[in-house]
Formats: sequence, C-alpha cells, structure tokens
Amino acid sequence: MPDKLRYAYYPGCSLKGSGRHYESSLLSVFRSLGIELEEIPDWNCCGATAYMSIDETAAFGMVARNLALARKMGYKEIVAPCAACYLGLKKAQSYISEYPHIAEKVCSALAKTGLECGCYDAPFIIKHPIEVLVYDYGLDNLRDKVKKPLTGHRIVPYYGCQLTRPFADMDDAFYPTIMDRLLEAIGAEVISDYPLKTRCCGGSLTGTIPEVGSRLSWLLINEAKNHGANYMVTACPLCQFNLECFQGRMKLWEGKTPKFPILYFTQAIGIALGIERASLGFGQLVYKPTMI
Amino acid sequence: MSEKGNGKLPRIGVYICHCGLNIANVVDVEAVAEFAGKLPGVVVAKAYKYMCSDPGLEMIKADIKEQNLERVVVASCSPLLHEQTFRRAIQEGGILNPYLYTHVNIREHVSWVHASEPAKATEKAKALVAAAVRRVSAHKPLERKRVDVNPDVLVLGGGIAGIQASLVLADSGKKVYLVEREPSIGGHMAKFDKTFPTLDCAACILTPKMAQVGNHPNIELLTYSELKEIEGYVGNFKAKVLKKSRHLYLEKCTACGECAKVCPVEIPSAFDENLAKRKATYRPFPQAVPNKFVIERLGYPPCQAACPIHQNAYGYMMMVKEGKFAEALEVVLRDNPLPSLCGWVCTHPCTDTCTRGKVDAPLNMPGIKRFIADHAGDFALPMPKDFKENGKKVAVIGGGPAGLTAAYELRKRGYQVTIYEAAGTLGGMPAITIPDYRLPKDVLKKDTDRIAATGIEVRLNTALGKDVSLSEITKQYSAVFIAVGASKNRRLGVPGEDNSWVLPGLEFLGRVNSGERPNLGRRVVVIGGGLVAVDAARTAVRLGANVTLVCIESWEEMFARRTSEGQKEVEQMKAEGVEVLTRWGPKEFKSGGIELKSVIRVFDESGRFSPQYDETKTRFLECDTAIVAIGQAPDSDLFKSQGLSVTSWGGLDVDPVTLQTNIENVFAGGDVLGPDVVVTAMMAGKKAAESIDRFLNGRDLYEGRELEGPFEGVARPMDLERVERKPAIRMPEREPSVRIKDFADVHSTYSPEDAQKEASRCLMCSICCDCQLCKPACPVEGCIDYSIPDEEIELNVGAVVVATGFKIFDPKRIPSYGYGKYPEVYTSLEIERLVNSSGPTEGKLVMKNGQPPKSVAIVHCVGSRDKNYNEYCSRVCCMYSLKLAHLVHERTGAEVYNFYIDMRTPGKGYEEFYHKLLDEGIHFIRGRVAEITDWAIEPSEKGKLVVRVEDTMAGMVRRIPVDMVILSVGLEPQPDAQDIRRLLKLSCSSEGFFLERHPKLAPVSTVTAGIYIAGACQGPKDIPDTVAQAGAAAGEVLAMVDRGYIELEPIKAHIDAEDCSGCKMCNGLCPYDAITYDKERKVSEINEVLCEGCGTCVAACPSGAIDQDLFENQELLYEIEGVLKYV
Repeated sequence: MPDKLRYAYYPGCSLKGSGRHYESSLLSVFRSLGIELEEIPDWNCCGATAYMSIDETAAFGMVARNLALARKMGYKEIVAPCAACYLGLKKAQSYISEYPHIAEKVCSALAKTGLECGCYDAPFIIKHPIEVLVYDYGLDNLRDKVKKPLTGHRIVPYYGCQLTRPFADMDDAFYPTIMDRLLEAIGAEVISDYPLKTRCCGGSLTGTIPEVGSRLSWLLINEAKNHGANYMVTACPLCQFNLECFQGRMKLWEGKTPKFPILYFTQAIGIALGIERASLGFGQLVYKPTMI
Repeated sequence: MSEKGNGKLPRIGVYICHCGLNIANVVDVEAVAEFAGKLPGVVVAKAYKYMCSDPGLEMIKADIKEQNLERVVVASCSPLLHEQTFRRAIQEGGILNPYLYTHVNIREHVSWVHASEPAKATEKAKALVAAAVRRVSAHKPLERKRVDVNPDVLVLGGGIAGIQASLVLADSGKKVYLVEREPSIGGHMAKFDKTFPTLDCAACILTPKMAQVGNHPNIELLTYSELKEIEGYVGNFKAKVLKKSRHLYLEKCTACGECAKVCPVEIPSAFDENLAKRKATYRPFPQAVPNKFVIERLGYPPCQAACPIHQNAYGYMMMVKEGKFAEALEVVLRDNPLPSLCGWVCTHPCTDTCTRGKVDAPLNMPGIKRFIADHAGDFALPMPKDFKENGKKVAVIGGGPAGLTAAYELRKRGYQVTIYEAAGTLGGMPAITIPDYRLPKDVLKKDTDRIAATGIEVRLNTALGKDVSLSEITKQYSAVFIAVGASKNRRLGVPGEDNSWVLPGLEFLGRVNSGERPNLGRRVVVIGGGLVAVDAARTAVRLGANVTLVCIESWEEMFARRTSEGQKEVEQMKAEGVEVLTRWGPKEFKSGGIELKSVIRVFDESGRFSPQYDETKTRFLECDTAIVAIGQAPDSDLFKSQGLSVTSWGGLDVDPVTLQTNIENVFAGGDVLGPDVVVTAMMAGKKAAESIDRFLNGRDLYEGRELEGPFEGVARPMDLERVERKPAIRMPEREPSVRIKDFADVHSTYSPEDAQKEASRCLMCSICCDCQLCKPACPVEGCIDYSIPDEEIELNVGAVVVATGFKIFDPKRIPSYGYGKYPEVYTSLEIERLVNSSGPTEGKLVMKNGQPPKSVAIVHCVGSRDKNYNEYCSRVCCMYSLKLAHLVHERTGAEVYNFYIDMRTPGKGYEEFYHKLLDEGIHFIRGRVAEITDWAIEPSEKGKLVVRVEDTMAGMVRRIPVDMVILSVGLEPQPDAQDIRRLLKLSCSSEGFFLERHPKLAPVSTVTAGIYIAGACQGPKDIPDTVAQAGAAAGEVLAMVDRGYIELEPIKAHIDAEDCSGCKMCNGLCPYDAITYDKERKVSEINEVLCEGCGTCVAACPSGAIDQDLFENQELLYEIEGVLKYV
C-alpha cells in the first residue's frame, strides 16, 4: 500500500457545472481508496476559455494565482481532473518557467494582490487523476480493491486531445494506453485498438458550427459502436458533454439518436469498487449503460 | 615593442588574402595589409586576390628569397582548409622550415560572421594579424618524423562497401582482413531483389563479388567476428578480433544442411526481416560467403541458469515439442539422475525466470519432466562410454537427494561408492515425509533404484553415530560425503507442547507415510507456514479432519508461498477446505484447544526473522489434535560427537565453494547446512562429487567453479508485446472434493499431445538448445564440436577501413503509422524480402492472408526529414520507393500510391526512372501522411487501411483506402556505432554517423590518421555512391601504404623530467595512451609516435612540466600580447 496520498485539488468550472457527476464520482472513488484531495480555496478560472487566445499573459496570470494559492497550502502536487485545466495549468507553468519576461509580469501582477507567485521555486507537479491512480496508487493496489469487476463490459477508452498533447507527458501523444490499463485493472474488456482514441471530439465547434462539430462527435460514437462497445469512458468534461448531449443532432447522419452512453472513467471505476450509483452521479447521465 | 632576452626580431612577411570577395567584401584587406606592414619585424605585407593560387604562392616564395624572410603569416580562410598548403609552399621554397608560419582565419572567424559590420570586422582582422605576427616571432623550427607503414589492411564490415574496398586493396596485392559480425558477408544489399534505377538483380551483381572475396588469396575473411580492441597508430595498428565460435569446424563444413534438418529450434530469421523462421543451426541465405553453417548459442537460457543443478529444461522442451520423448529423457538425464522426484516435487526456480512468464504464463517445466519420466517407464541411468573403475572408495552418508546425486556423480567418475542410510529405504526426507498424493512411493523408489543399479553399495538401517561412527568410515574410505539432512523437529517452546494430542509435523507425516492412519479427531490445527505444514494440513484433510492452518506470517509473507510451486500447493490446500489463519501464534496448548496470541511483526527492519507478539490480544481455537510443523533443524549434537565443527545456529560448518568440512577428506551438504529444497540438495551433491574428485586427484578445489549454482541466463532480444499469446496447458487435476478422499495423486500426467502443445510454447531464449541432435546427423566426422570456444586473434595492420553500414529506422516510434499494430503495414526492407525470389514467399508479393494486394500505399520519409525523429534526408528512400512501386505494380497489378514530400531523384538515370514510373500509372500524392488507420467511414473503406493525408497539390485532406502499406523507412547509424567510434577514436556528426575529416576535401579520411570510412556508416547513401566511396577509401589507403612510410605531425608534447613530480595525473588523461610512467626514474614519459598533440596533459600537469610544440608558453603569451597591444 502506498503512503498516504494527498494532493491539492483544482476542480475548475466544469466540475462544478456541467461535469458535476465527474466531480462526485471522482471524490467518491478517491475517498474509498483513501486518497485525499484538498480543494484550493478561492480558486479562479484556469484560463482555458477565450483568455488563452486573446491575452496569453493574463491567462498565465490567472493560472499563477491558482498555483500561488496552492503553494500557500504547502502542497507540491496538484490534481486537475478537467483536461482543459490540466493542459492550461501545465502550459502556463511551462511558459512561466521558460520565459523570464512572462514570469516577471506574472510575479508583479500577483504581488499587487499580496500573493507570492513562487515562479522561481520548483514547479508544481500537475497530475490528472488517471496518473494518480496508475502511477501513485498503483494498478495492483487498485485491483485488490475491486469488488465488482466489470467483466464483459466492452469499453472504449477515449482520451481526446488535451490529455495527451502537447504539454501532457503521461503517455504517448497519439497512442496512449494508460487509461486502457486502468480499465483492464478493474476487469473491463477494453477496446484498445479503437483507432480514434485521441481524435477531436468536436471541441467548441459543437457550439459555433454545429454541423461540423457534432459530426466529429458522431464519428467517434459510430466507430465505438462498430467495435462492439457497450459504452465509452472519457476523462474530459468537454468531450463528455459534446459526445453525450448532442446525440439528438446525430440523427442527421445516423437516422436516429444513437443513445450511446458516455461515462466518466471515474464512474466506471466507482462501479467496480462497489460504490452506489447515486454517489457516482449516475443521475446526471443522459444515457446509462444497460449493464450497470 | 621590446623583445625579451632577444634584441633582434626575425624578418616577417604578412599576406592578406581577399578570397575573391569572400573576405574582401567585408574586410578592408588593403587597410589590414597596410596596418601589418607597420608592425615590428614585418618587412613585407601584401594583399592578394587568391593567396592559395599558384601566383599567390609564388609571390610568397619569391618574397622569402628576395627579402630574406624568416617568418611568414597568412591571413585567409580556416587553417583546416589551407594551413598545409602554405606550409608546403614555404618549405618548397627550400628556405624555410614549415613551422615558422602562422595561419590567421579571417574568413570563417571574421568576414563570414561579421558581414553586417565591415568596419569592426576590419579591426578584428587587424587584431588577429597583430597577434599572429607577434606569435610567429617565437616559433621554432620543427622536424617531421618518418615511420614505416605496415601494408596490411583491416576492413570492418562485409557489406558492399567493405567488399569493394577489400577487393580493390587485395587486387593491388595488399593483405586484407575483412571482419564481419554476421555469419556471411553481403550486408543489406544481399537482402535486396532489384537495384535502382537499372533494375538489375542485386544478387547477380553482388554474389560474384562475394565469391571473389571468399576466394581471394589476399583476403582473410573473418566472419561471425567482431573487433574488440585496437591500439597503436597510423601505419602500425594492433587489433584484437573476437572470432565467435560456430561450434563447428569451418573447413570441414560442406553446407549440406543435415544439421539444420534435425534442429528443433525455430526463431525469426533476421535476414528475412523476421518474416520467416530459421533454425539455431543455419546459414543466413543459400549464397552465403563463406557458405558454411553456424550453430548459434547464446549461453544458458534463463531456466537453465536459474536451476541450481543447471538442468537443461530448454533442451528437453524442444525434444518434447518434436515428439522425441526418448531423446528428451536423454537430455534430462544428462544433468539430473532423479527425474521423477524433480518432476513431481521440485520447487522449479526455472519457471520463475521463464521468459514466457512475462508474456502469459511460464512453461510447466516440472510437469513436462514428469511426463518424460512417466512416458519412458523403465530405463537405466546412463554411464560414460569410457567408464573405468578407478579403485578408490568413497562413502556417502545419507541417501536423500544430496547423497544420491553425489553417489551417482562419483560412480560415473569410476569410484566405488557406498551409501549409508539410517532409514529402511533410500530417498531421505522426500521418502519419509512427502505424502503420497504429492509423490507416490513407487515413483521415488524407481529413481533411487536406478541410482543404486549403477553399481553402488547401499547399507540401509545404518545410522551415523549410532550404528557406525565417522572415524570408522574415514578409516575405510578415501573420502566421505555427509548428507544426513535436517531431521530434528523445531519446538515452539510454549506450555502444553508435550500433550499427547500435540504432534510434531515430521513425525506425523512419517507415520502416515509408512501406512498408519491415525485418528486425529474432527478438528485439527496445523501450526506453521512452510511446505511441511501444508503437507501436514492436506494429509490431515485426507484423514477426514476439518483443518485450520495457523501461521504467524501474513498471507504475503507466508514461507510456503515464496516459490511458485509452494503457491500452487497453498492454493490446492485452500481448495481442499483448509482454512488459513495468518498473523496468529500459539500461546498455550490447553485442554480442548490452543490459545493463540496476535502477531505484531514477523521480521525486523533489516528483514531478519524476529517475531513479536501482542500477548494481550488472544483467541482460543478448539481442536482435537494439533500438529506443529514450524521447521526442521540439523542434528548439531550428532555432528559435534563425530568431531565436526558446527556453525552458531547448528548447521555443519563447511566451505561454501567446496563443501569441505573441518576434516580434510570429509565433505558435507544439503539440509545439514540448514533446511532447503530438493534441488538445492542435489546441487550440493554435484558440488561435493566435484570437490571429492578434485581432492582425490590432487587438483585445485576452487578454480573455475563460478558457474555452479544459479545465475542470470541469457535470452535473445524479443519484442514480448508482439509474442503470440498461448495459454498454458494445465496438467489434469482431480476435483478437490474427490481427491481428499484418498492419497492418490492430485494430478495425472500430460497426454503426449498436451505435453507437445505445452512444450511448443517455449520462446527458445538462448537459440541453440543443446539437444545435441545435430552432431550425429552431420555426415562429416568431427565437424560439429560443441566445445569449440570463442577465439581472440591479434592482427597487425597499417590502416583500417570502417564500413559498418546502417540500420533502418524503427517505424514503431511513429505510432500513428500503425506498424506492429496492423499486420499489413510493412517496412520497405520487409517488402524487399517479400519480392525477392529467394525470400520467404519466393518472390510472390502477398498479404498475410495469402492474397495479392489490390492497392498499395508507399509512405515516403518515414523517420526522415522530420524534426521529431531525424532531420536529415535519408537520400535513398525516394529511389527505392520508386523501385518498389514498379515491382509491386509489375508483380501484382495493384494500384500503387506514393505519398511524398518532395521527390528527390538526383543521379544518373534517376529522374528518367521517375518519369518511367509516372508513365506506368503509379500515383504520386504530395503530402506527408498524417495517419494510417483501420477506421472506416465509408463502406468502401471497410477492411482496408486508410491513409489520411493532406494532398498539398489538390489542397484538400484525402482518405485513401489500401490493402497494404509500405513504410519507406530512413537510414540510421548502427545501434553500436558509438562503440566503434570510441574504439577507433572517431568523431560522429550529431545524428551519429561517422564524421569525415573534411566534408569536401577529405570525405573518406577521419580525424584519426590511418582510419578511413566508406559507405552508409558515414551517412545515408545508395549503392553507386557507396561503391565509389569504398574505392576512394581503398585509394587513400594505397596512397599511404605504398609510400611505405608516413610523416608524423611534429606537434608533440614533451615532459621536462627535471620538473616532473611523478604524480601520474597525465597518464590516465591521455586519450591516445601515449604517456607511461618510468618506475626507475619516477617520471612520466611521452611516446612521441603515439602523441597526437591534443594538449590535455599540458593543461593538467600540476607542476607545469609539460610543454607542447607550437603551443609553448612563450608562443601563447606573445599571441595574447599581440592582441592586447592592438586593442
């Protein structure tokens, strides 16, 4: 058993909004495994929205504020479950440590709010919950905790883009297998050769050019069905939202609503650990797998 | 400017070169010349358009004569380019020593880098010239030394480059040693079908050259050999070459191939790019030169190395795979006289290291061994053909696994052996205590009878210390081996242990084994966590009891679970209904049961056994019988009474290597040293027999025994992820509910079919399995000899040509291209084999399903021109892609799509070939392929590989479905190029190819004099360029060798013996091993011939005793002064 695992927790806006079931399932799973998350008090936007493209320095400043708050708590590692936050935090930290002129601006801005940026200290280790489970907690330990293995569940592990590149380093950028291994550990039948693992979910195009964005989402679902999947798991709130909530639009290409369940990976793990569905936010799923 | 110690300045001439406009466009050369003319000592200063041209050089020569110049400075390009030119010129004048010269670089260092600041550039040029003028006044004349050259040449690498260089050199009468690490020369070219652009067959142009090499009287071909070391210097190198053993005599082998026919090993053939299999005894291809076989042995495989007695499990696996069960038995008996015993109860460390275990499940090696023995039925143990009684008598005390093994090993060596056994039967602990369901008595008896039948006298019921004493025995025998085991039950030392319902484990098992069926009552508790406890528990179950096993260890720590065999035993025990209670220890045996206390820890921080209990936390376990099986101990009182010394914890005190006791001719091993398992006892028996044999023949007891006992074995490189999964074939096991009703065997033996299936899961780690079938199959007497060792030979040569070639880029590094994931994605080299008439498909280009492809994609620049992998262009891929496109189209009629970034076809007839392909209807799509996927969107894409690419001509993203994809992989340096670089003291470019001395003017020379490079080890190139370069390298070698001597650069370091403190700091630093320490004079000395003048020692010498020509302190100080004075 690893030593007590404790992390600062940066939930980000999605986990408090459209991805509430991601947060509830994540917290339930971590609680049952004895992994402690302490939420950063008074956190703000990760800068992933339009900020990053309009004013990068301001976006970095916002991230730096979150990091400064976490530093005050005394942590060295931050868990960021939302793929956009995960990427934003990593990107900002990398730019701040690589470019002194950015660090300078960020530091002076933070100083005005009375915060020490710590830009020149050792950088934080920013982790996605998948990394925590696979690398810190360990798959063997997880396997020991499984009460209801997901035997016979054919699952497509869908990673999306932000979790794998360009600043992420948890696995291969185009053919990651880390979530595959995680799902195998809880007994699922993982469709590892799903070719669209890291392809675009449609991103914000589902809002701006729906017929392009949602078609991209549909391609993912259609291919998952071709591979005989029962459901798909994701680790990104935007992916989950795009893939699940716009299935109505997919009539256009499929002739009917696919009604294909899209779960967070934490929900699947929760089921395997024997946690009840209510604590895993199953109520918020539009389409539920028949087997759970 | 004042002169220290010397009032008169030498007469100096300064020459500033325009280098056309290269320098003059930026630097005001006339101003520099004018400035130089005013410097102290300068009598003439001129600028000229091309100083290196004939008129320029003549001008300098004339000035030297007319103006009586004593020193010359030229400011021009890099000294790398023309320093030698000017030195030669002033020497040719016959007037000046070439080292009374300084070269100033005002092109690379000035005009080219400061092109935007001409004024400053001119100032910099002036400063550098001032420095050189000041410096040159301190120069001293130096003399070049001549050294004779050894005309023999070493060529490394037997590809087309090495072949060509060797032939040129040999034809001109030079002796050539051609070293190739593969069993045949030919290199990559031998794998190709056709060559571009002429489409002539590679074999037709290569094999005659190969044969010529093989037959050439001046070429000594050293295949299957590697360069290990090289020392010396240009003209006089000494190379050490390792000739790996082929395990047959090259001159006797007729290449008939009978050996390969019987070889049971089949591994992927590297020559066929792993698309076909080859045997362990093989030749890479039928046209191999030399046309000889090789038996490839890597050493002990992991299973055999891990086995304490080095049982050749791999060998008998191969025999069983082939259905050769009698031969399998022969292999088993070579190392192991107790096959049944080991087949049934060995803890088999072999399976724990089995490579297959990393893929799915390890092979069942004991199960297969049991099958072999079971299947053979009655057989005798083999005795040596030349067996002879030697008349010496040896006693073995104890008839267990250690004693039996020692007795047989000694008997084989001709000794008269007597076994003294305390019990009424041979077999030791396994006979007395191992229950029948695990080891039937008749099975063990067959093993022990076979040993006795080799002519060994057995005295049963004769116990040491009781019926016979050691001193009586030593009187009658030359040597004694004591292997009486560990028969004392350890006691718990808790109250109530002497109750009649508390049974010692060994005693209980012994009683049941001798046929007794004691009534244990309904509830039985077994105390202990080892294998004896498990045996006791399972025996009690079979006597009808409800059994609980109590052990102080946690589940993870449980002693029995430390081996995989033990884990299996524990699992079977649990399946038979035994409950396991961990982390509890007995406190007291009370009436009706046992009071247990809770365990806090079993091992202390350092891992030593040191249990601690919480006496307050207790529980009571009701039972009718308790069996205590917490371990056994050797009988130390017995040993002491016989005059043997004992260790502090009660085992016999022996030498760990020789097993010799304190009495010279008495050896001991097995459980007498402390309890262990059967196979380690057998190892002790083997070791003791070896020691006794050495002792009685007066040989050294210690020498060469490093490989006794387990070590780490070798496995050929395998991609375990791509190994086909083959689930283990289990031995039939009786249902727990059935088997607990009797003492019959839990398992039944494999059927021959299942045994073959299980054995065929073997991954053949060490290639040759040492089955020794090929030796009798070979029609040439004395050709195959497994004992031929590797041989190291020394060669004296004057020059070395390095032609070590390239390797292809591993496309698995680009996961989006799906190589290794999709079976129909190939490398170009794999396709070369598939289209080759002598390849695995005899030239038929077919997919894995046997059908020819209807559409084929060829992806260019895989791993080349890509900053993520290799930035450089691999030069050959465009052309070989065209060639493959043509061949694929011609052979299959498939639509062929080339995906390229740019088509690069410079070369004679290359562009024309490209146009021919365009006319043939091959498709060319410009754009780097993004992805190869089996993701089908349209129905037409179903079951195909889809190439996604941005077509930059059409300006759109395209999806092109194809049946087969060929990745045109780039060329990379050999994986061990860095080793060669270090060995030969070469330099490498950033991508790892060997660096030539000058990219234009010395393309086949290297920074180390006497070492030349040719072919793709210098950078990617095609066959014509490679052959041309090989010829050039041979030419350079001839130019040097035929002169008969070389002139050494006189720039050497010198040690002033007066100042040398003898600290030896410089000795280790010298990269050329030129410095040695003179013990008598207590100073270091530099070998002038070896010294390359790098200056490392000069800088390192703490007493400043080392000086270097042309870099003496005064020269450097003057140079600095010159610059500073100007500034």
